[in-house]
Amino acid sequence: VLVLVQPVLPRLRALLQRCWGRLERSLWPDVFGGQSLSWGPALAVHGPALVPRGINEAGESSAEVPSLLESIVWMAAPKHRRTIEVNRCRRRNPSKLIEIKRNIDVCPECGNLKQKHVLCGYCYAKVKEETRLIRMEIHKREGGPFNAPTVETVVLYEGEKPTEKDEGKRIIERARKRPSWFVQN
Amino acid sequence: MRLSVAAAISHGRVYRRFGLSPRSRLDLLRNLVTALVRHERIETPWARADEMRGYAERLIDYAKRGDKDERAMRLADFWLTEKDLIHKLFKVLAPRFQPHAGSYTRLLQIPNRDGLDRAKMAVIELKGNPLPPLVRPRRDSDKTLLNQLLKGYRQNAQRAA
Repeated sequence: VLVLVQPVLPRLRALLQRCWGRLERSLWPDVFGGQSLSWGPALAVHGPALVPRGINEAGESSAEVPSLLESIVWMAAPKHRRTIEVNRCRRRNPSKLIEIKRNIDVCPECGNLKQKHVLCGYCYAKVKEETRLIRMEIHKREGGPFNAPTVETVVLYEGEKPTEKDEGKRIIERARKRPSWFVQN
Repeated sequence: MRLSVAAAISHGRVYRRFGLSPRSRLDLLRNLVTALVRHERIETPWARADEMRGYAERLIDYAKRGDKDERAMRLADFWLTEKDLIHKLFKVLAPRFQPHAGSYTRLLQIPNRDGLDRAKMAVIELKGNPLPPLVRPRRDSDKTLLNQLLKGYRQNAQRAA
């Protein structure tokens, strides 16, 4: 609610008159020279009227939020300092600690560590590399895209002959010795 | 009595959600099935491999009926986007898996992906593929107590016979 309050103190009123005059002259220069306008300077206060608290606060605009009114939003804040003991209890609670893994084993082939239900990373990388080379050979043999054969495939290494089980299969040659972990069957 | 389930509850739903829409999910799985039939071993996120496994095995089950079967041919036509693989499916994979009753694929977990997402990865392969084996079957050593006792028992039985 906007309330116009005429200050009672003469000094305040005089000061406000001067300020108001200056303001009007700057805003409407053509009006300058006329009489002081009918409406006098006054304090416009937002909210219930305040008693002017003294000359020191005359110049301040009272548009700042007055204390203890409905326009403030209350926020939660901690009342007391949490002690280090309480903090330690919260931070070191088992639910907040990292779980220790008990499913780590040693791979029997290469000796690297692996999780029990996961393939060994080293051995898998080895197999992946060999697969990549075999697929390069297959690509060279097929020559282009969409040439999938209608017969089985068998991979033979240096110095190996196709057995009678490999009748009618497409043979892919790899130019190296057979690795120990790739058993021919 | 409530006849419909609320949208936020998913009790008992078995199909995972992938991609942008159900159609996109099927397209994703279709690409994976095509890649599996072509390369016989692929490395993908575990969830996708697990989802794709059922579709791939059902496709092989239908292919075992033979390529004269209308239903099998239509399924193979939908699921394999590269049409030379339809020949491979009916002429190579169906005879290879004829003696087996089911479980034509093997799904193994590999270490998490190296990129930023550290996704759970798996490698899915068709059994009987010509590529190097991923896991070597290990037999128990002969020097364990149980194996030594069994060996002794077998020798005694042979000597008695």
